[in-house]
Amino acid sequence: MTHQHEGDDHDHDHDHAHPHAEISEGRPGYYDIMETAVRELLIEKKLIRADEIRRQIEVLDSRSPALGATVVARAWTDPAFRARLLANGRAACEELGISFYDDTSLIVIENTDKVHNLIVCTLCSCYPRPVLGLPPDWYKAKPYRARAVVEPRAVLAEFGTIIPDDVDVRVHDSTAMVRYLVLPKRPTGTEHFSEEELAALVTRDTMIGVVPATVDVARPAP
Amino acid sequence: MTPTEKLVNRLPNDVGGLPADPIQRVEHELEPWEKRCHALADVLDFHKIINTEEKRRGVEALGAEMVVKLSYYERWIVAFANILFQKGILTPTELALKMKEVESRSSEG
Repeated sequence: MTHQHEGDDHDHDHDHAHPHAEISEGRPGYYDIMETAVRELLIEKKLIRADEIRRQIEVLDSRSPALGATVVARAWTDPAFRARLLANGRAACEELGISFYDDTSLIVIENTDKVHNLIVCTLCSCYPRPVLGLPPDWYKAKPYRARAVVEPRAVLAEFGTIIPDDVDVRVHDSTAMVRYLVLPKRPTGTEHFSEEELAALVTRDTMIGVVPATVDVARPAP
Repeated sequence: MTPTEKLVNRLPNDVGGLPADPIQRVEHELEPWEKRCHALADVLDFHKIINTEEKRRGVEALGAEMVVKLSYYERWIVAFANILFQKGILTPTELALKMKEVESRSSEG
């Protein structure tokens, strides 16, 4: 069986340590130069403006899983907010001052004792960027995209997450217009936690759905 | 399905359900040019010059070999250039000349 045209095990590691990325000596590489050239031509033609690019870089820098964590912690502590979040993810996030800089809608799916949810984008790399920032490389690489939809329990096990047989696993495949966010289960023993303390338990991977939120994992610095 | 039917039924991006290797939990901080490329994609989308679907199809149209061998943002910028050529917004000659200019500018600096 040959799937050579589908790629091979190389496509996961090409976003880092790429042999073509000429980062040595500060000399820009071919694709770096291409990006600059395309951008400058579009600016010269007045189709885009330089300040729009600068502004969007600031927007990208302002997004991280810390935003999603505040949404989750609020949902854990405020049942009315949780209901609004599950009814319309985007509107509820906007309530908390999180702007959506694109046209995407957001569906928040809740993990329960009966259901564990996982998000993926099989076709490419769609991801709830306004609330989580940019996706990790493994999310964009073939192994996760290919396997999450057929053997989610095996994929989860590779993240150290074992889902009991009596819990359904549901996989949500993102599109250009519809993005998903997992609302993880609130860990037991956190009844006395403040909203801020709760938010510190919510990592990016808990909101992708590959790991549960736990009390002994503090969120790494963004 | 015959081998050619398989090709027709599955374009390079359509990997959902295929056998694949174990997940390797790699991540990296974006290079400055990669972040600029991402911002460029968003701005092109805001102006309805290239939307997300066009971008995805543009990457797919690079063909299987480039999809595998180029890195994520390398695929994006090449796809943008091709889409802009197709839309008559840029020409290949214009881009080639501009890249030469950018390169000579940076080698002076």
